[in-house]
Amino acid sequence: MSGNDQSPPRWAETLLECLLCAAVRDAVVGDLHEEYVEAMAPRRGRLRADLWYIRQVMSFVPSFLKELGPMGKVLVGSSLFTMACACWLAFMEMILRHAGYGTRIGLALCIAIICALTILVRMLHAGASIERWLWICAAALIGIGAEAFFRNARSPHFEGFVFVISLVLVLQGLLMLMTLGRRGAFASGPKGHDEVFCPHSGA
Amino acid sequence: MADLLGTFEQSVLLSILSLGEGAYGRAILNRVQGSLQRNVTAGAVYSTLERLEASSLVRSRLAAGTAVRGGRARRYYTVMAAGQRALSETRRALTAIWQNAQLPVEEKR
Repeated sequence: MSGNDQSPPRWAETLLECLLCAAVRDAVVGDLHEEYVEAMAPRRGRLRADLWYIRQVMSFVPSFLKELGPMGKVLVGSSLFTMACACWLAFMEMILRHAGYGTRIGLALCIAIICALTILVRMLHAGASIERWLWICAAALIGIGAEAFFRNARSPHFEGFVFVISLVLVLQGLLMLMTLGRRGAFASGPKGHDEVFCPHSGA
Repeated sequence: MADLLGTFEQSVLLSILSLGEGAYGRAILNRVQGSLQRNVTAGAVYSTLERLEASSLVRSRLAAGTAVRGGRARRYYTVMAAGQRALSETRRALTAIWQNAQLPVEEKR
C-alpha cells in the first residue's frame, strides 16, 4: 500500500478546505488528516475511515450555512433550484426532441453551469474577476427569461412551465445582480466572505 | 452571574485543562469523546471552541505542523481565567440545584 492510500479522500479534503476560512483551515484540516492517518485508517480500515472523514466534513456544513447570512442562503437556494430546473429542462428536451432541441439543451446546460459557478464562487470565495463574469451571466439570464416570458405571453399556446421557468430565470438573474459583488451581502455581519467559520476574523 | 456553561462547553473546557500544553484540536476532540462516551464530530468541537474564544474563555496560538499533517499548523488552546471562573460558577450552580433534589427515579435501565 502506497503512502497516498493512507490519506483521506482528496475531494472531501478539498470540500473541507472550501467550508473553512484561511485562519482556521490549516489547523482543522491538519487535525483531521492526522487523526485519519494515525488512528482511523489503521484501526478501522480504509472504507470506514473514509466514512468517518466524510461525516466530520459534513459536520462543518451547518456552521458554514449559518455564516452565509440571509442573502447568501437565498442565493445558494435559488441557484440550486434554478440548476435543478435547467437540468430537468435539458433532460425533457433530450427525450422529446422537438425542432431546435440541441440549442435549448445547450442553453439549459449553460444556465446550470452559471448556477453551479454562483454557488462555487460563494463557497470558494473566488475573486472579483469571476464575480464580474457572473454579473454578465446574470444580465444574460434576465434577458433570456424576459424574452421567453414575452414570447410565451404573445404565443397562441400559452405554456405554464415556460412561464414559471422564465420567471425563475429573471428572479435568479436579479438576485445575482443584487448580491454578487456586494462584499457584505453574503454575511450577516459587515465582513463579507471571510466570515465563513472563522473565529479569528471577529475577535 | 454570567450564563451557565452547557454540558458540551464544560466538557471542552475541562478537556483543554486536563490536556495542558498538548491541548490542540485533535487531542481535544478525542478527550471530549472519551469523557462524554459518545461519538462527537469535529464540527461540534470547533464551533464550541470558536464560541468560547469569542467569549474570551479560551485563547489559541498557532504552532508548527508535523510531517503526518502535511506540515499544516496546529492550533493550541488555553483556558483563560474567565473560563476557569465560568467552570467554577457552573459547578457551584449545578451543585446548588441538585443539593436538595429528591429523585423519584434514580436510573432506569
